[in-house]
Amino acid sequence: MKKQLVISVMSKDRPGIVADISRAVLELDGDLADLNQSVLGGYFSMILIAEFEDVVTPEDVIAGFSHIASETKLEITIKEMDVPLEIEKNNLPAETFVVTAQGENRKGLVSIMGHFFHRRDINILDLNTTREHSLYTMIFQVDLTPVASMSLLRSDLRELGRKEKLDIVLQHNDIFKATHEIATPCSGVVEV
Amino acid sequence: MLRSDQILSTVEMIQKENLDVRTVTMGINLLDCRAGSAEQTCKNVEKKIALHADAFVDTCNEVATRYGIPVMNKRISVTPAAFVGAGFSEDEFVQLAGSLDSAAEQAGVDILGGFSAQVEKGMTATDLAFIRSVPRALAGTSRLCASINVGSSNKGINMDAIAMMGTTVSQLAEQTADQGGFGAAKFVVFCNQPGDNPFMAGAIHGVEEADVVLNVGVSGPGVIARSLEKTIRSKGKENLCLDDIAEEIKQITFRVTRCGELIGRQVSRELGVAFGVVDLSLAPTPKVGDSVGEILSIIGVDAIGAPGSTAIVALLNDAVKKGGIFASKSVGGLSGAFIPVMEDAVLADAVAKGQLTIEKLEAMTCVCSVGLDMVPIPGDVDSDTIAAIIADEMAVGMINNKTTAARLIPVPGKKAGDIVSFGGLFGESPVMEVRNVNKSSRFIAWGGRIPAPIHSFKN
Repeated sequence: MKKQLVISVMSKDRPGIVADISRAVLELDGDLADLNQSVLGGYFSMILIAEFEDVVTPEDVIAGFSHIASETKLEITIKEMDVPLEIEKNNLPAETFVVTAQGENRKGLVSIMGHFFHRRDINILDLNTTREHSLYTMIFQVDLTPVASMSLLRSDLRELGRKEKLDIVLQHNDIFKATHEIATPCSGVVEV
Repeated sequence: MLRSDQILSTVEMIQKENLDVRTVTMGINLLDCRAGSAEQTCKNVEKKIALHADAFVDTCNEVATRYGIPVMNKRISVTPAAFVGAGFSEDEFVQLAGSLDSAAEQAGVDILGGFSAQVEKGMTATDLAFIRSVPRALAGTSRLCASINVGSSNKGINMDAIAMMGTTVSQLAEQTADQGGFGAAKFVVFCNQPGDNPFMAGAIHGVEEADVVLNVGVSGPGVIARSLEKTIRSKGKENLCLDDIAEEIKQITFRVTRCGELIGRQVSRELGVAFGVVDLSLAPTPKVGDSVGEILSIIGVDAIGAPGSTAIVALLNDAVKKGGIFASKSVGGLSGAFIPVMEDAVLADAVAKGQLTIEKLEAMTCVCSVGLDMVPIPGDVDSDTIAAIIADEMAVGMINNKTTAARLIPVPGKKAGDIVSFGGLFGESPVMEVRNVNKSSRFIAWGGRIPAPIHSFKN
């Protein structure tokens, strides 16, 4: 019997941190299923899903990770999944769109966009924001499956952009696949 | 997740550089519409176009809204009418023109192409009746475009047909004199006319094509102009060579082509129609910032038509092809930069300043598609001179194994330098000077054929 654990790790970034975490998982005879990491402002964050033997407890994992050196304290959160997550089915929905919003930096911009999507039951699949000088850029990958009218959503976004002084653009995810994935011909993008 | 810099550069291309899909054109074969009478044939033609094109415009609009990329023009091309109406009289072809025009109106498209014939080697009695019907057919319709292929690299040039083209162009202008000779703007003469070109006025649905096919023409030159300006600004002119310029054009064309093909394939999937080709042409519009002339100016000539212009067009045309061919699964049509004088505000301005002449335009057409396009000339230029200008342009295409075309518009009552305006996509320009008028009649009077060139004998 195997169990699935979702583990998130945060630490000041340094060379070798991925090697240390993956070795700790291996020493517990864990099998990595999926992993995502990013570094933001020199701070490292990783979320991973791994399968362990049933006897391995979250405390064992914390103990296994405890020797990993970090300038700051290594923050670990572990969640044991009662119903295993379906790793294979992570294809994007057909109605995946990308919304970019840019404007003069001020507090609350992500919150404005987040509420806009929430009110319409739109799930954010991925979010990336950057601040360059005074320009704040947000890139949301969203699932528009619940949206009944694209033209209404476009006009609502136009109105939001006008009101909040944001330059908001909504494009289908396929456009970006077509323009940047050389190995995917357009016939492949359309047929997916 | 895609990289944010890639997302932002694509968003910029779509929003700030005005990326669009220039045209989606539905090609429909009409050969099975021929019936025992002209009346029944016309009814069948209208019925078949309605059957396939009913949802065409709405589907294009829906896909454009979904993807956030406008489709500028929705058009229809059909099998050359001279084949569809085999055995028709002149009057019956005029009747067929009326049916095609109303079918276009019914389908909600602004232009339908294919009132056409292919006579590069010889003319049948039907072809002769068809050609004689063209001036009346175009004067009496508003959405119909006509084209005639009079030459090919394989068969040579039909000079009897060329002589008739001279008089046809003159008659078209006379019969639409109240509109500044606009009838001639809907008529193109071709050498090596492709059967899958989605651009008007020369679109036809070739007899080699499947029953119904969708072809796409990619965005205009504005996207390339803005992208070049941005690169030159960010990298500094002193740090760039022409190779870099060509590379930038290739890169942007790749992305533009991908967008065009994506939209076209989505429309064809939703309509259940086969996808044909992406035509990689840069088609300017009279809108400011959507000009091929502007690209020439950015790359380095202070006057369009100045020495260097032909070389720049060659670089541009080649880079567009290289970027687009890699991007698309199937490329076809004309695929090259257009230099239509009236439809390109910067070219029209160069004519006004006396910088661009017909002779220089002809030289530029040696290295790009499609030919002497939308060239307004004085209304009193004789038919033989018009025929001879067409013959020169056809010879360029025949010898260079490429498509060339002539769309000359004699503007009744106007002389060189007078302004003619057709409005909308057809634009405006000063009438261009034609030198050496009335000096080519002896050549045109020969008739017969210019034989196929030596390099056509490859069997």
